[in-house]
Amino acid sequence: MPNPALNDLRVIEFAEMVSGPMCGKMFADMGAEVIKIEPPGRGDEARSHPPYPGDVPHPEKSGFFLYLNTSKKSLTLDPASPGGLEVFKRLIADADILIENHRPGYLESIGLGYETLRALNPGLILTSITPFGQSGPYRDWKGTDLIEWAMSLTGYNTPTLVDDVDKENPLRAPGHAAEMMGATNAAAATMMALFHRDATGAGQWVDAPCWQATVNTSKLEMAAYSYVGIPFSRLRANVQVGLEPLPCRDGYIYTLWAADSHWKALRTLLGDPPELVNEIFDTHAGRHENDDILRTLIRQNLAQHDMDHLVTEGQRLGLTIGPVHTVAQAAHHPHLEARGAFVEIDHPAAGSFKFPRSLVQMTATPPESIRAPLLGEHNVSILSRLGYTGEDLRRLQSAGVI
Amino acid sequence: MGRLPLAGIRVADFSWIINGPQIAQWLATMGAEVIKIESQVYIDIGRTNPAGMADRVAGVNRSGFYHALNYGKKAISLNLKHPKGRDLAHEIVRRSDFVLECFPGPSAEKLGLTYDEMKKVKSDIIMISVSLLGKTGLEPSRWVGWGPMACCFIGMFDAQGYPGGPPRQTGGTWPDYAIASSVVFHALAALRHRNRTGEGQWIDASMGETVIGQMHEWFTDYFMNGRDRRQWGNRDDVMAPHNTYRCAGDDHWIALAVANDTEWNTLRTAMGDPSWARDAKYANQLSRWQNRDTLDSHIAAWTRDQDHLQLAQRLQAVGVAAGPVLDSAELHNDPHLWEWGYWWKMDHHEVGERILPAMPVELSNVPELNYSYPPDLGEHNRDVFGGLLGLSDAEIKLLIEEKVIY
Repeated sequence: MPNPALNDLRVIEFAEMVSGPMCGKMFADMGAEVIKIEPPGRGDEARSHPPYPGDVPHPEKSGFFLYLNTSKKSLTLDPASPGGLEVFKRLIADADILIENHRPGYLESIGLGYETLRALNPGLILTSITPFGQSGPYRDWKGTDLIEWAMSLTGYNTPTLVDDVDKENPLRAPGHAAEMMGATNAAAATMMALFHRDATGAGQWVDAPCWQATVNTSKLEMAAYSYVGIPFSRLRANVQVGLEPLPCRDGYIYTLWAADSHWKALRTLLGDPPELVNEIFDTHAGRHENDDILRTLIRQNLAQHDMDHLVTEGQRLGLTIGPVHTVAQAAHHPHLEARGAFVEIDHPAAGSFKFPRSLVQMTATPPESIRAPLLGEHNVSILSRLGYTGEDLRRLQSAGVI
Repeated sequence: MGRLPLAGIRVADFSWIINGPQIAQWLATMGAEVIKIESQVYIDIGRTNPAGMADRVAGVNRSGFYHALNYGKKAISLNLKHPKGRDLAHEIVRRSDFVLECFPGPSAEKLGLTYDEMKKVKSDIIMISVSLLGKTGLEPSRWVGWGPMACCFIGMFDAQGYPGGPPRQTGGTWPDYAIASSVVFHALAALRHRNRTGEGQWIDASMGETVIGQMHEWFTDYFMNGRDRRQWGNRDDVMAPHNTYRCAGDDHWIALAVANDTEWNTLRTAMGDPSWARDAKYANQLSRWQNRDTLDSHIAAWTRDQDHLQLAQRLQAVGVAAGPVLDSAELHNDPHLWEWGYWWKMDHHEVGERILPAMPVELSNVPELNYSYPPDLGEHNRDVFGGLLGLSDAEIKLLIEEKVIY
């Protein structure tokens, strides 16, 4: 049985790759009927994005696509074709939400601008997820995850604690973090619009840009500029409390020693070595001033201990400390296994693999991922519901509409 | 201000620092009445962090760190360590739709902020708990930690770094913001479910699990192929060139991402059709991707003496995905962020005119969200204890003397 939380909603997803599909997945995993519109023939571009089992490309086996499109239905349709436009309009007539991530102005150019959509369905919520938004001088700029990320202060500051500006260029976060942030912001804003519609009957247009979503993740660093007048620096020398993964005997740990209580706990954890029992390190100011020496000494001492011991004992002593895992270590971690952070999904073409389960966990209506659809898997059932006959379907198919 | 989407919804907000306040800010700006419960014995450290103090003058109502995350809310000062304080908190919960907290497990238990306790107070409450690695499971569910530690635990910082180098840290406190809008979406789905069925629930959100979902291809590649992707640099799975390149000046960069042959030919023309770029090594998408390291060094030599802002403008004008890496001043002066409506110029009674980030989404039918000033500590005591709970002035005075309202 589908998740009851949103099972009264119908969502049309006219989107490819990450931002739009991730937003659609969040609705689908919560029980909404999400009809994904894919270009006839090639399908969503994500179908040609790795990883694939055994690294062999196949449009039904992309792990990238299979994660981003769980719990949806697939309809192949080209709304830019005359016959396709008609089908699309029929779909919109009884939909609650349309999610799209095309460049600004594209819907309008194929006869599906917001005013047209509103005339068809005044309660419709149109959610547009784009790199830069529907207005402003960069509206028509091309964006990718790297561009949206790099143009934010979070991107400028990745990696943190840079020693040599010449050798350390700004890095993108692993994955498609900026597009993901755009997607989750869009999902939150769409729910707001849904509450607004439930109260007023009126739909609206939600503008959810990925760049602004990413810029917003350095709110504190930006507030420091307006309040204190300090531009943010990525140089280690200018960072007040330098935190970073530090090597230990068998891996890396992450901790801090800003507060006096943390410092004492860290010293105890390391066995109170004489070189650390020194009054110049007893205050926050002293530790900050002597950061170079102190960091070297701490590194030397950490190298004598194992990760598990440091983390377990450190946490027991009240120290904020954690392990730095590789993805493979995390994938098998007993805590994440106990939480059910990964779920096995069986797919008729790709086979059975584990995937990340859900962004958050809930007790009464937990998000549930049902396997992603095959390309055009639901063409017949969706078009039949709209009143198209078998004859119509053959006609649409031979015209390349579906 | 027209009708806001969450008008009539109330949140008992026990959260502090970043992720909880960011969640509550989404709800507050969209019209929910968020009652932020603080006290002088338990003050949001966003109010006291010296790094955010306006003009470096200390004061609990002067911090940019607090202001950026707490506008739109009401703030009361209630001492939860006092039994009467706990009782009053329950009275607020009884009148609320959501309870929000982001403490480590043991601290939440000590304060009685668990779902078991809260549903005794109000049976259909929706409780939102945000933590490092979730509040159920094994020992890590009881750890103390903050955003970046979640990235460490799930492999993000190991994957972040230069190929062959050590793990590196992503900027900001990414998971705090990543989890916020994810939680808001699911919390509103829970509210819809409650409105239809009368059933409340517990949202147990783990920053670690949110970030796992964000880098899903790292995990699917591992589960499908056993590949442990470490220190990935700026490499993309498909695109090349795909990197940040040094420009003129101290620490200025431009990001470039080329997705297909058309874009590559446009970039080649923009570079002045250099002979190296005609090499067969760079003739198609796959060969460019295979030879991306030498490709990068050619492009870096071309960008090195150019202005990052002008070059991005020039490349975007011809259809190449390019973006300047922007510093604090450039972001604050960016014409697009101003015109789109990202910055909010706030005139505050204590710190004067400041620039704060507004909400990063626009709703066409809700043009004006709730941007009421970030509240002073205890600013809404009378409003909440008198108005919402119906206490008399004499009762409130007594509670102040007893340091319950404190």
